[in-house]
Amino acid sequence: MTDQINPLGNIYIFPQAIATIARQATLQSYGVISLAPKNLSESVKLFFNKKRPFGINVRADSSGLYIDIYIIVEYGMRIKSLTNSVANTVKYNIEKTIGMPVQRVNVHVRGLRISNPD
Amino acid sequence: MSGKSITILGEAERHRLLQSPVDGSGLKLLLEAGLTWLRTNQQYVNSLNVFPVPDGDTGTNMVLTMQAAYDEVCQHQSLNVGEMAHSLAQGALMGARGNSGVILSQIWRGFARAMDHYETMDAALFVRALQESRNTAYKGVVKPVEGTILTVINDIAVEAENRLKEGDKLSDILVNIVETADESVKNTPELLPILKQAGVVDSGGKGLFFIFEGMLRLLQGNSLDTAIAEIKPLSALDLENALETIEEGQDYEVVIDFVPHSSLDLEDYYTNLTKIGTSIQVGEGDGMYRMHIHVPFENRYSPIDYTMELGTIQKVMMENLLDQVNNKKRDKDKIKLISVNPDEIAVVAVSPGHGLSRIFASLGVAAIVEGGQTMNPSVKEILAAFENLPTDKIIILPNNKNIQLAAEKAAAVTVKNVAVIPTRNTPQGFSALLRLMPNGELEENVEAMMEAIREVETGEITTATRTIEIDDVEVQKGQVIALLNGKLIASTQSIDEACIRLLEKAQVENYERITLFYGENMPLSHVNKIADWIQTTYPEHEVEIHEGGQAHYQLIVAIE
Repeated sequence: MTDQINPLGNIYIFPQAIATIARQATLQSYGVISLAPKNLSESVKLFFNKKRPFGINVRADSSGLYIDIYIIVEYGMRIKSLTNSVANTVKYNIEKTIGMPVQRVNVHVRGLRISNPD
Repeated sequence: MSGKSITILGEAERHRLLQSPVDGSGLKLLLEAGLTWLRTNQQYVNSLNVFPVPDGDTGTNMVLTMQAAYDEVCQHQSLNVGEMAHSLAQGALMGARGNSGVILSQIWRGFARAMDHYETMDAALFVRALQESRNTAYKGVVKPVEGTILTVINDIAVEAENRLKEGDKLSDILVNIVETADESVKNTPELLPILKQAGVVDSGGKGLFFIFEGMLRLLQGNSLDTAIAEIKPLSALDLENALETIEEGQDYEVVIDFVPHSSLDLEDYYTNLTKIGTSIQVGEGDGMYRMHIHVPFENRYSPIDYTMELGTIQKVMMENLLDQVNNKKRDKDKIKLISVNPDEIAVVAVSPGHGLSRIFASLGVAAIVEGGQTMNPSVKEILAAFENLPTDKIIILPNNKNIQLAAEKAAAVTVKNVAVIPTRNTPQGFSALLRLMPNGELEENVEAMMEAIREVETGEITTATRTIEIDDVEVQKGQVIALLNGKLIASTQSIDEACIRLLEKAQVENYERITLFYGENMPLSHVNKIADWIQTTYPEHEVEIHEGGQAHYQLIVAIE
């Protein structure tokens, strides 16, 4: 689907592969507790298959990649800053690994976890 | 009051901080020191930033976060350390910028939680707060990456606890924390491979180290506004900028790559190098060292001879700086003036210093003539400044009583339509310039400017060049004198005192804004101190500092 030309043939990189990089980068980001199912349908699918990856959506067109990330974050931080970090880290890591431009990273905060109510 | 540096603590105050448990005001001082020291080293921290995204902004983000936190702390005059810590956490949370800023805000959040409702902070509480900081910081991430600021705060918390068990005092614990943080930062490349590849240590960890080191430096009475020389990774050597800040007597730049015979005693190396030259930087990578130094002509071979004793030299690079700098200076000193269109009004200003010229240029003058108290420009120089401008409507701001005459003569000689506004000093010149309407009529501009120069009170502070009595004020040669609107009002022993008398005499309470333009022989740290004093004494006033670069006058003060 996201393809690059090589003299020997085409290279196809599937969204699932890109999602894996995005997931790794997201979970290492400071303040992110976990990914979250993006909607009811994903929650239901998750119910039947616990190992199914979730929370990342990757689309591509000729101009580059569009990534949506659904996360749960730790309560008590400036969400604007930490989501900014997530978006930057994801963009940087994908572009470094895959070499395709990332056009957009949308970060959706689906919930907060409170470990220290203060 | 951002951008101003903290002054070194008085002995009594330092003693109090060292001996008794820290209260709210003590915590505030420590934070200010941490912030100031971090800001001093901000560019260095930026240069280390490779993880998670190498965008070179860690230092800036941490400074902005600390600044927001400190601003919040300044809002409260509480002596209660718990309340103070609470505003600290609140400020850091609201102002958190970037990844490291968010982590820093969590560190302060944990710190504040431990301080909750305590009046003062003793060693035990400090240690508990650090542990809470660590715990809170680690809760924010599922997969903590070691070799980052998290590792550093963890090492600090562990060390602090050990020290407490041995019964150390708060100040001793701080010493150990700084040492531990230093070690921990140095070890980060072992934990995080990407740092090792880039040949740097972790930037966020280093930033945290600077915050604690700033606190310690305050307690030890060390200055906080000059970065100390230290070993840097090769990639962080900033040789470009070293060239910009060149001083007199630095004729040659010498860069030497070498491998030391045995382990290098850096402190010793530095000390000996400072005897040879200035702008010393030493970088390390892969067992190789790179040394950079500026030396006077006669010492140009000394760094090579000296380094040869210590190791094997691989490469030497030498450049004649005088030549380069002359070129650079020419570019740098060029001030961009606006270009006037025919039919518009052009302003010619006489400026006594480079910094002031820059401000004049930014306010929209079309030409600048250099000149001041003891270097009055000639009629010819003033004429030359505006003769070639493409317009016939000219306004001259002489900005000095002694230059007014020359300006008027120039006006009489030329065929152009020239008005001279009798500005007696630079602040009047600035005020007049703010009223400029380039597309208006010359007469209405003159009228507006004449009105403007009456609205600003100008103080000047300088050193008396002879013993004299004027206006009932006795002056000894060498004393500091204050003039208000050109009239001598006080003679004092210090610049600070002259400032105090000046502001009193000017009845500054009737005005809103005080601007300080400092001269070429006035250190910025001194100006900052004065500005801080003014701000505390007149909290309602806006205080601004600008580099004036004028000769003779240590300070020019505009009160409006």
